Amino acid sequence: MAVEEVEVSEAEIAVHWREEEYYYPSPRFIGQANASDPSILERFSEERFPECFREYADLLHWDAYWHTTLDTSNPPFWKWFVGGRLNASYNCVDRHLQRDPNKAALIWVPEPEEVDPIPVTYRDLWVWVNEFAALLRDFCGLQAGDRVTFHLPMVPELPVAMLACARLGVIHSEVFGGFSGAACGDRIADSGSRVLVTMDAYYRNGELLDHKVKADEAVARAEELGQRVDKVLVWRRHRGEYASKAPMQRGRDFFVDDLLPRYRGARVDPVPMPAEAPLFLMYTSGTTGRPKGAQHSTGGYLAYVAGTSKYYLDIHPEDTYWCMADIGWITGHSYIVYGPLALGTTSVIYEGVPTYPDAGRPWRIAERLGVTIFHTAPTSIRMLRKAGPDEPKKYNYRFKHLTTVGEPIEPDVWRWYYDVVGKGEAVIDDTWWMTETGGFLGATLPALQPMKPGSCGPGVLGVYPVIYDEEGREIKAGSGKAGNICIRNPWPGIMQTIWGQPERFVQIYYQKYCRNKDSTDWRDWPFLCGDAAVQAADGYFRILGRIDDVINVAGHRLGTKELESAALTVDEVAEAAAVPVIDEVRGRAVEMYVSLKPGVSPGPEVEERVAKALETEIGKIARPKNIWVVPDMPKTRSGKIMRRVIAAISNFADVGDITTLANPEVVDQIRRQVQSEKVKRGEVPRELTPSELEELQAFGQVS
Amino acid sequence: MTRHYLAGELSQLLGELAAAAAGDRDADEVVWLRRQAETVGPGRLAPVARRALGVADRLCWESLSRGDVRAFDLRAAVSARLWAFGVAAGLLGEG
Repeated sequence: MAVEEVEVSEAEIAVHWREEEYYYPSPRFIGQANASDPSILERFSEERFPECFREYADLLHWDAYWHTTLDTSNPPFWKWFVGGRLNASYNCVDRHLQRDPNKAALIWVPEPEEVDPIPVTYRDLWVWVNEFAALLRDFCGLQAGDRVTFHLPMVPELPVAMLACARLGVIHSEVFGGFSGAACGDRIADSGSRVLVTMDAYYRNGELLDHKVKADEAVARAEELGQRVDKVLVWRRHRGEYASKAPMQRGRDFFVDDLLPRYRGARVDPVPMPAEAPLFLMYTSGTTGRPKGAQHSTGGYLAYVAGTSKYYLDIHPEDTYWCMADIGWITGHSYIVYGPLALGTTSVIYEGVPTYPDAGRPWRIAERLGVTIFHTAPTSIRMLRKAGPDEPKKYNYRFKHLTTVGEPIEPDVWRWYYDVVGKGEAVIDDTWWMTETGGFLGATLPALQPMKPGSCGPGVLGVYPVIYDEEGREIKAGSGKAGNICIRNPWPGIMQTIWGQPERFVQIYYQKYCRNKDSTDWRDWPFLCGDAAVQAADGYFRILGRIDDVINVAGHRLGTKELESAALTVDEVAEAAAVPVIDEVRGRAVEMYVSLKPGVSPGPEVEERVAKALETEIGKIARPKNIWVVPDMPKTRSGKIMRRVIAAISNFADVGDITTLANPEVVDQIRRQVQSEKVKRGEVPRELTPSELEELQAFGQVS
Repeated sequence: MTRHYLAGELSQLLGELAAAAAGDRDADEVVWLRRQAETVGPGRLAPVARRALGVADRLCWESLSRGDVRAFDLRAAVSARLWAFGVAAGLLGEG
């Protein structure tokens, strides 16, 4: 029997998703919540924007109060709390000293379970931060505005280093400790750091891994890219014992525990920084070109993470709060270090993997430390559930609040988190946001808005999301149709720019839906988040995943990333790029360009394997009209494949300006190869319309 | 979404696989895959994870074929962690 092919539109898919039931917080939770009075929703209503965010800023200590809450004079480079001065280190450390000097600011849990957790009191932290700040200033010669790269694992030295930089107004850039030396080197070069802070080794899965070896790779890579690193500061995982096989380079590498005694007792005055001074850079992964460093401000960012930590994580100073993310990501910056410490709470840092030595480890830590708020990602929840579905029941901890972050959580996994991890008592906050946004964008106010599995909830306080279709028409709540979720207004936590690439910042986040590029009215500048979403009639958003360039083949929207990912499953393929060609029957068809790994010869077998891979991974609709095996892809000097150039070749259109390419010669080579073959096959297209030309020119501009 | 940590975790696991593969002819491919994990972006990690699992499998067979139990143990352990992570992150199917 033939299987009938049913065409399901994006809208229909959304409509047929089952609406989940609500879960409500307990009276006990509501009674203690920071936000339990519904008037808070009124205080943050659109009519009160942007002044509503004073409430967040007032959680901080300001050395000088601001005169303008939001300056929109140079859109979309918004400035928050203009005229204000503050110091992030002072706000996270010093101001808690008087009331709580002996309270744990951090509790560090080393991976080896036989080693006791190590508390770092607010006083300890203050001393440590001051001494390390003195070292950075006096030994490294760093001052406000300089950049420093960290490549540190999950150890307390990382927040100490962050806060020491913040004390001086130095911009820090932490690279996730698990990344390679090369990735670290790329980021050192982009940020222009001349100091690298690292560690000799760290524990993971019971092994002490050599980490310093990566510093040598990083420095070499940065030098290749034109950035010299003068000093590498190396913390030792075990004080006085060097655990790396990589030799220390005389004159460049220094053990921090050798240097710090010189600064014993040193006190460094926190520098009052302008609110809009950059606090840190957070590089996103996912670009073959120049890395993308999200630049976050001091005043706006700190106010935003303090406010959202208070109202959404419901952090109280007496809580023991554990976010099991890595500080190397934005979650760790915002919701392990800056937000919780700004509120003067106790933040737990765990060195290792959650399932070491077994899946009961997180619950033993929670029990031992009396953790009240637990925050992790759906991937970790799935791993813990699979490895030990009943483990939480064995331990006598009591969470009042659970958070998820990073990706949508399936209702089934959500229910395990609620019923088993939360023991049916803890409130769950499913948060949606991203590196670029500094803090939450979508979430439920835990005492005021019910939870709904699979939905992050409405926009958070003072953030007004909207869903647009490709043409910029608003998709209404309850329509069941999916589209591109945007934020209509600026908010204090938003990134300021991409470090050193302001045009790219505008192009990625604002160009698509900007109504008037000359306007200084924020309403004309919606922020494109890069996720697709659907909004239910109750205003809750369900996030569907990242948007991408799409090729519309006979009504089927095929993401270029999915197509290219499928092509890359073929072993011989080194790089792949999918582009649209105008097709009189299907509207658009896919053409796939691939380059092969060294030593692999092109031929029909490889092409067939690529075609098969696309069919298997995506479906028959994805079978490309042509597969072109090319010697190389046209790339920018930073390595980004110029899809618009190959799309133009496929469509016999003008390739435009190629002077910025690293390999312009390859364009002619590909043109001769592709167009002569197309002429032979009678595939020369008709003359393109202006709108088709515009579409091709814009192709490949999403990421 | 803040899914960059998936790229980080995959990179970390590939770093461990690279250490376990030192000296093997597949070692270069592991290094290449790690670079891919760090640059292709969270939306394109699935094929990297799939290919990494394939290489890990080859590495296990290779160590078995020369009777190197220690190498096999090491490689199999990383391979298991890679699979568990890939499934939990939705990058690999369970089958």
